[in-house]
Amino acid sequence: MESLPLKDILFYLVAVVMVATALLTVVVKNILHSAVTLSATFFCTAVLYFLLSAEFLGVAQVMVYIGGVIVFVVFTILLTSRLGEYALEAGKLRKIAAAFFSMIIAVLAVVILRESHSSVALEQSDYATLAVIGKRLLSPGDDGFILPFEAISLLLLISLIGAVSIARVPRDDKNKEAE
Amino acid sequence: MTLQACLLLAFLLFAIGVYGILTRRNAIGILISMELMLNAANINFIAFAHFRALDATAGAVFSLFIIAVTACEMAIALAIAIAVYRRHGHLDVDELTELRDPDV
Repeated sequence: MESLPLKDILFYLVAVVMVATALLTVVVKNILHSAVTLSATFFCTAVLYFLLSAEFLGVAQVMVYIGGVIVFVVFTILLTSRLGEYALEAGKLRKIAAAFFSMIIAVLAVVILRESHSSVALEQSDYATLAVIGKRLLSPGDDGFILPFEAISLLLLISLIGAVSIARVPRDDKNKEAE
Repeated sequence: MTLQACLLLAFLLFAIGVYGILTRRNAIGILISMELMLNAANINFIAFAHFRALDATAGAVFSLFIIAVTACEMAIALAIAIAVYRRHGHLDVDELTELRDPDV
């Protein structure tokens, strides 16, 4: 408990940076800048996971989101938009309505969280180490997750094949382009 | 750092994501905002696992699955974005109205 103040300071720092980069992500005009700030948000989330002592998830967050999803998003942006050539922007009315709607969500959150009473927190620290997660993930027993694990590997395979088959140029179109 | 603070952070991120989804007109921008919302849900899972859960490892594993499913979903969604761009030459969701009921 002695190290709590430092942890608190770090948490609030990360929270502020996270909210700021998330705001930038949705406000910035250029979609490529938006992807870059999103990667900053994901990095802050990884730091938050470390603060919540979920080391493995922090590492997975960096690897999957920043190393995989963001790169994928950036490639798609580069493939689909002539950079900066056209900026799609919503009208002012829509922006105001959206801001109002998301403000309602934020205010509701504050109200609900103020109503809730917190009992003594557990603050578990060794629940998401590599060894613990690995054992749970692959144990075939009642508390294991071997079946969902295998299902998700199948889902990954299916979605990758699906992505390739959706994004590729159909054969007759290819002939047309060649002509 | 309390459970309330973490949940408030997650709610704020979710609200920001909602704003992004409602205001973006580029399909990829909508996907990016959706990632923010999923990230907020994941933070909720980890916060509850850390502060409250009886079986915290299950919560961590669950959010691991969420990360995996998100990766799948992004792969498909971006492939669809590429296909749409190839067909229409743009990704403006206001213009993509082929599936809309013309009477409404």
